[in-house]
Amino acid sequence: MSQMSDLDAHQHRRPAQVGDRLAGAVLLVLALGAWWHSHSFVTGFMQPVGPGAFPRLVSLPLAALSAYLILRPGFNERWPDRAGLARQLAVLLLLAAYAGMLEPLGFVPATLACAIVLTRLFGAAWGQALIAGTGLALGLYALFEFALGMPLPDVPWWGGGH
Amino acid sequence: MPSPLTTRLGLPLLALGLGVSTSASALPIDECIAPADPGGGWDFTCRSVGKLLTDLELTDGSVQVTNMPGGVGAVAFSNVASKRADDSNLIVATSTVGMTQIAQGRYPGGAETMRWLGMLGTDVGVILVDDESEYESLEQLLEAIVADPTSVAMAGSSGAGGWDHIRALMLAKAAGLPGDQVGALRWVQFDGGGPAVTQMMGNHVDVVSTDLGEVAGFIESGDVRVLAVMSDDPLPEPFDELPTAVSQGYDVTGYNWRGFYTGGEVSDEDYASMVEDLENLYASEEWKDVAAQNGLVPLWRGGDDFSSFVEESIQRVEAISREIGVIQ
Amino acid sequence: METLAFLAQGFAVATQPEFLLLALIGCAVGTLIGALPGLGPVNGVALMIPLAFNFGLDPTAALILLVSVYYGCMYGGRISSIVLNIPGDEPAMMTTLDGYPMALKGRGGEALGLSAVASFVGATIATIGLTLFAPLLVDLAIKFGPAEYFALFLLAFATIGGVTSGSFTKSFIAACLGLLLGTVGIDPVSSVARYTFGTFELYDGIDFIVALVGLFAISECLVFLEQRHGADKPHIKLGSAWPGMKASLSCKGTIGRGSLIGFVSGVLPGAGASLGSFLSYMLEKRWLGAKGDFGNGDPRGVAAPEAGNNAAAGGALIPMLSLGIPGSGTTAILLALLLSMNITPGPLLFAQQPEMVWGLVAALFIGNIMLLVLNVPLVGLFARVLQAPSWLLMPMVVLIAFVGVYSLNNSPFDLYMMLAFGVLGYVLRKLEIPTVPVVLGLLLGGQMEFNLRRAMSISGGDWSILVNSGISIGIYAFAATLIVAGAVYAMMLKRRLA
Repeated sequence: MSQMSDLDAHQHRRPAQVGDRLAGAVLLVLALGAWWHSHSFVTGFMQPVGPGAFPRLVSLPLAALSAYLILRPGFNERWPDRAGLARQLAVLLLLAAYAGMLEPLGFVPATLACAIVLTRLFGAAWGQALIAGTGLALGLYALFEFALGMPLPDVPWWGGGH
Repeated sequence: MPSPLTTRLGLPLLALGLGVSTSASALPIDECIAPADPGGGWDFTCRSVGKLLTDLELTDGSVQVTNMPGGVGAVAFSNVASKRADDSNLIVATSTVGMTQIAQGRYPGGAETMRWLGMLGTDVGVILVDDESEYESLEQLLEAIVADPTSVAMAGSSGAGGWDHIRALMLAKAAGLPGDQVGALRWVQFDGGGPAVTQMMGNHVDVVSTDLGEVAGFIESGDVRVLAVMSDDPLPEPFDELPTAVSQGYDVTGYNWRGFYTGGEVSDEDYASMVEDLENLYASEEWKDVAAQNGLVPLWRGGDDFSSFVEESIQRVEAISREIGVIQ
Repeated sequence: METLAFLAQGFAVATQPEFLLLALIGCAVGTLIGALPGLGPVNGVALMIPLAFNFGLDPTAALILLVSVYYGCMYGGRISSIVLNIPGDEPAMMTTLDGYPMALKGRGGEALGLSAVASFVGATIATIGLTLFAPLLVDLAIKFGPAEYFALFLLAFATIGGVTSGSFTKSFIAACLGLLLGTVGIDPVSSVARYTFGTFELYDGIDFIVALVGLFAISECLVFLEQRHGADKPHIKLGSAWPGMKASLSCKGTIGRGSLIGFVSGVLPGAGASLGSFLSYMLEKRWLGAKGDFGNGDPRGVAAPEAGNNAAAGGALIPMLSLGIPGSGTTAILLALLLSMNITPGPLLFAQQPEMVWGLVAALFIGNIMLLVLNVPLVGLFARVLQAPSWLLMPMVVLIAFVGVYSLNNSPFDLYMMLAFGVLGYVLRKLEIPTVPVVLGLLLGGQMEFNLRRAMSISGGDWSILVNSGISIGIYAFAATLIVAGAVYAMMLKRRLA
């Protein structure tokens, strides 16, 4: 049976009183909220089962299972340490900013900036990030704009280039 | 807010427009919103008309079809009203089904929110049963319904209170079903006429009420029995043998026309040229062919004529819906 | 014999040059994605869906492309298992047990060659099974009314515990969460907006492609970011693949048994490829007992799980295509693709879209041969890709996800949504709540609810219609059996791990 422990891909499982209970509580609130809110859905003309019934039918077991999770928490994978969390947060913020800047800035500038910082955040040195980021941005632009024929947002201040 | 696309295309097309004699349009139609998933009637309307606009050179380049499903057209309606009210390059497919939604207050606005361009053709309602069904005639079916409304499960592609349903209820009322019994008649909604017929063939529902165009294949293959088509006069070939409801003594018709609207803030001038484009398309032989292949009867109403027709239809459907009890 | 005629027709479809090209691209891309550590078929197919859409491919072409990616990923998953001891995906986990020890002994090439053949045999046997068995279900088609469909969806969720090896409670929580998320948007029956809170973009519901890419591709990157990764990777001498091909002959019994077990576990809704590879490995170990050297680089320990997981991948297509029930995460995504192309898999699919279905089956046969041929000369190349620095690979995955999702609707809202699902997916993974049931719920919830309401419309509000036919009762009984079996299996697993 020695290799059976290898079967477990999650080698960093931890009993999870806090994590599971917290998740259970959040899900319980969600289920109750969904249940409560479903009563505002108006049942239409000649419908034996209205729009609120199914959400209620689902939120019931969700609430029960969440409550069970609070009572009998299971295992969690190891949560990231502070440095890992910071890296994840930085990447998420960068990507959110990218999503917001895509249309105002146009595809190429926004992607260029994002790709360089992103490769850097994933551990490249500045020089590598500059080269890889530029390559990625231009490569994607070429792939989508020319090979796949899908228009991506233009740089606005290049105005009426067509 | 004018879309960047229109401003970008505007200049070169003004120059080009001089050379295109068939169209007076300054900002030609280049997008059609189908307020449904690919595959349905509205999607078909957009795709076939978009293609013809290009083929007939009524527009420069191709017409992009955008599928914007949700709320039987409500999502597209509210999108156009709030974001694209003055886009004269945009048309949106609609039909009697959309009218019914407006009449029942299910869109975020009334007919006056939009400018109604025109209709190009109409589909007609049919009442079908399985070819092995006990119901041999419309009269037999309606008598059974009047005797016990709970004995029959009807199906179609609209929701309860939608156009497919209302058409069937109008027949039941004409046969003498009392108003307070209407709610006892069972109505089942499917994703389209085809799935509804398939379920009927499996004996899960008894009757299907839908558009002829959606089930023409089943009718031609003989898998179903048509009890009535809901047109004033018998249809052209190959459906000329099908009995109308009128000919069987029930004075009920139920068409489903196919047409377009555009945003409410499009200028009179642009509106006129869009109507003209559609009218030119309607006049072409190509449209007659496309319509015939899809079980549509070509029929034109455009511009102000169409707008007042839409107003009238909405009032009529509203009255019927009230009478049947769909709306209070 | 009708089947053979259809299959011939299918080959006529699939051998059109553009489809062959798509299959080739799909196989190559799939093998690459599958080979990347952490990225398996679920991520690969999820990433390719927006691209397929943007290509404007017709359903047959899109399906051929994606299924080739799927099969390719299953092939590719073993590469990182053997070379890096990192399973490309869950089903490839078992392959690490003997594959990596083989690689450490300098027999990596042999392991790769052997596993290529085992994969090929497994997948081919499954495809033959698909050809024979799937059409049998078609005759049932017309007997399925709304009540029976509802039972079928319930079956899919009842068996969900088996899709993932984690806890039952958490699997069902995930399914409920997905079902609840699936109700967001305008209710198609009554046109009432549900849980949209006035957000216009939510009226059309949550786009499952957006959710998918977030849950799988973005969350994967977040997992990756937990640790700082150095550029240095173990350098392993591969050696030639040919001895492995020859060795496969001596493993033919192992491969055959593995394929059959894998196929059966693939067909069972909710079981999937992980169970397939697990069972074939364990059975082989039992079977040979002391005669084997399992865990220390026994070639049969590579052949069995590879045959098993590839056969399961093919088997899982049966319930997906013929019942509309996905047997695994990846088939769930393929189902999503079909639904969004307005094709409803289910008992009627074979009758309504014979050209597509049989073209697909033929494409699977062709794809398998392509994969085998690709894998022999290119295995070294694929293995080298693994040495490419992750600071290049991961940003590439993120950016492709971004551009692909953006191009669906040209909407930044979708991108925020994708990020939100990425975070959700990550948190769920940390909590050991599986994400696949969330996708299934999101995917099947709409039709499940619709069929429930249809059944109630037919019966006029009488709930007994749900258990009114032999078919429904049979399905419920089957679901109950699977739940019990799943619970027993989970208990056994728990005892072993303890």
